[in-house]
Amino acid sequence: MINFLNRNIYNGVKKYWIIINNEIQRQFAYRIGIAAYSFGNIAEVIVMVVLWSIVYRNIETIHGYTAKEMVSYLVFAWFFSFLTTTYAFEANIAKDIQTGALNNMLVKPISYLRYMATVATGRILIALLIVLIQDILIILLLRGRLIFSADVSKIVLLLAMLSVTYLFNVLFSIGIGFLAFWTTEISGIYYALKVLRNFLSGYYFPIVLLPVALVKINLFFPFVYTAYIPVQLYLGKISFAEGLRGLAIEILWLVALYVIIKIVWRFGLKKYESVGI
Amino acid sequence: MAIIEIRNLSKTYEYYKKQLGLWASVRGLFRREKLYKEAVKEINFTIDEGELVGFLGPNGAGKTTTLKMLSGILYPTSGEAKVLGHIPWKREPKYQKQFALVMGQKNQLWWDLPAMESFILNKEIYEVSDADFKKNLDELVELLDIKDILDVQVRKLSLGQRMKCELVAALLHKPKVLFLDEPTIGLDVVAQKNIRDFIKQYNQKNKTTIILTSHYMEDVKELCKRVIIIEEGKIGYDGDLVSLIEKYAPYKVLKITFEGEGVKEEDVSNFGEVHQFTPHSITLRVPREKAKNVARDILSSNLPVDDILIDEVDISDVVRKIFSNNQIKK
Repeated sequence: MINFLNRNIYNGVKKYWIIINNEIQRQFAYRIGIAAYSFGNIAEVIVMVVLWSIVYRNIETIHGYTAKEMVSYLVFAWFFSFLTTTYAFEANIAKDIQTGALNNMLVKPISYLRYMATVATGRILIALLIVLIQDILIILLLRGRLIFSADVSKIVLLLAMLSVTYLFNVLFSIGIGFLAFWTTEISGIYYALKVLRNFLSGYYFPIVLLPVALVKINLFFPFVYTAYIPVQLYLGKISFAEGLRGLAIEILWLVALYVIIKIVWRFGLKKYESVGI
Repeated sequence: MAIIEIRNLSKTYEYYKKQLGLWASVRGLFRREKLYKEAVKEINFTIDEGELVGFLGPNGAGKTTTLKMLSGILYPTSGEAKVLGHIPWKREPKYQKQFALVMGQKNQLWWDLPAMESFILNKEIYEVSDADFKKNLDELVELLDIKDILDVQVRKLSLGQRMKCELVAALLHKPKVLFLDEPTIGLDVVAQKNIRDFIKQYNQKNKTTIILTSHYMEDVKELCKRVIIIEEGKIGYDGDLVSLIEKYAPYKVLKITFEGEGVKEEDVSNFGEVHQFTPHSITLRVPREKAKNVARDILSSNLPVDDILIDEVDISDVVRKIFSNNQIKK
C-alpha cells in the first residue's frame, strides 16, 4: 500500500520534473536567451548606489537610514528581486493564448496552470545560477559599504519569504498573461504594472520615505511583503517575530492570488471558448 | 457501436465590428457593435468504431469549429455531443487520455528540443507505462521511418518530418479517437503520400476512429469511404464517397484519342458535351446511363478512333461543383 502510494506520488511528480528538465535543456539550446537578462541588472544597482551616495554626502540619516543602511537596503532589495523574478513570463502565457497554442494544452490531461508554473520555474533556473554568482561577486565588491547581518534562523526565514515571493511572482505573471484573453496587447499593461509594483514593493527605495498615509495604505497591498519586509528583516530593522508575521501575510496573499487567478482563468476560458482563437 | 454522436450541435461566435478609419476607431473604444457568426448550425451525425470519415468543406465552413468542440476546446452554443460516452467540453482527463487532436498548422512539439523529449513528456502526461511507451514508440517509428530524426531539434526538421513527429506525439497513448485537421497541409506530394499511407495503415491496424479534414482531394479519395460535407455550418452531404459521385455527377467522362488526320469539333459535338478538344484527343461528358451506348456509337462511326476510355468524374470536380452551386443559390 505504502509502496503503491509512493509510486503514485512519484509518477505525479515525474511529469513536472520532465517539464523542468526540458526547459533547462531549452535554455541551453539558446545559450544566451534569458541569461542575457541577468547581465543588464548590474548597471541598475550601480546607478542606484552612486545616486544615493551623492544624496548622503552632507546628511547623516534619512528616515532612520544611515548611508550604509541605505546602500545595503538597495543592494539586497536588488539581489532579492533578481532571485525571485520570472523574467517577463507573462509574455509566454499571452503568446499561448493569442496564437491558439493553448489548444494543445487544453486537450491534454494536465492542468495548464500547473504546467505553466512548472515551465516558468524550469525557465529561470539557469539564469538564477548566473545571477547568484554575479550578484555575490558584486556584493563582495561592495562589501566595505554593506551591512552583513544574518544568523541561521534569519536565513531560513528569508529563504521561506523569498520562495513565497517567487511563487507570488509566478502567479502574478500568469495572471497578467491571462489578460490576453481580453486584450491582444499586454506589454503596455505589463510595463505599467511592473513600475507600480517595483515602487510599491520598495524595490527603488525603502517605502518609509513615502508619506505616512501612503505607507499605511501600502501595507494592505501584497507587494511590500515581497521585497521591503524581507530586506527589513535582513537589516534587523524588524524583529524575527515581525518577520514571521510578514511571511504569514505573504502566504495569505499568495493563497488569495491563487484563488483570483483560478477565477480569472475560468472567465478567460469562457471567453476563449466562445470566441475560438 | 457509435463512438461519436452529435445532436443539433451549434456554435455561434461573437465578435466586434471594426469600422474603417481613425475616427471610427476612436469611437470604437467606447461603443462597439457586437456581431454574431453562426459557424456551425444544428449539425447531426454519428460515427461508428473504426470508421475513417472525411470532413470536407470550403474554408470557414465550420470543419475546424466542429473538431474543436469534439476535442473540448470550444463550448457549443447549443446541442449535444458525446464521444466515447463523454461530453467533450467537460474536459475530463478520462476522456482526454482516449483521444488526440492533430492540427496541421499548430504544433505541440517543443520547438527547440529533439522530438524525443516531447514524446517522453507526453508519456508522463498521459501516464503511459514504460512497456507500452516503448512498444508504441517502436511501432510508430518503424511505420513512419523516422528513426534517425528523433534526436534532431524539431526546428531543424522539414515540414514533412515534423508532421510525422507530431503524429507520433499524438498517438503514443493509443487514442481510440483521432481528429486530424489538415494533416497534410503544406507538404510536398511525396510527404503527403507518406502521411496518407500511414493514416490508412494505422486505421486498419488499430481500428482507431478517425475524422479527417483536408483540402486535398487525394487524401479523401485514398482514405475515406464515408464523407461528410459541411457548407456554411450545415451538413450538405453525409454518406459514401462513391454515391456522392453518383448523386452530384450524373455523368461519366469519355476520353477518346484519334489517329491520322484527327477530327473536327462539329464531328463529335452531337455525341455529348465536349469538354476538351484537340483534333487528336477529346473529352466528352455524357449522362451516366448513356455512356456505354455513346461509346459504342463512336466506335461504330467512321471517325478514326484510336482508343476510348470511360471514366468517373474527378471527385475534386464534384466537390468543387457542390460548393459553387451553393454559392450560386445564395
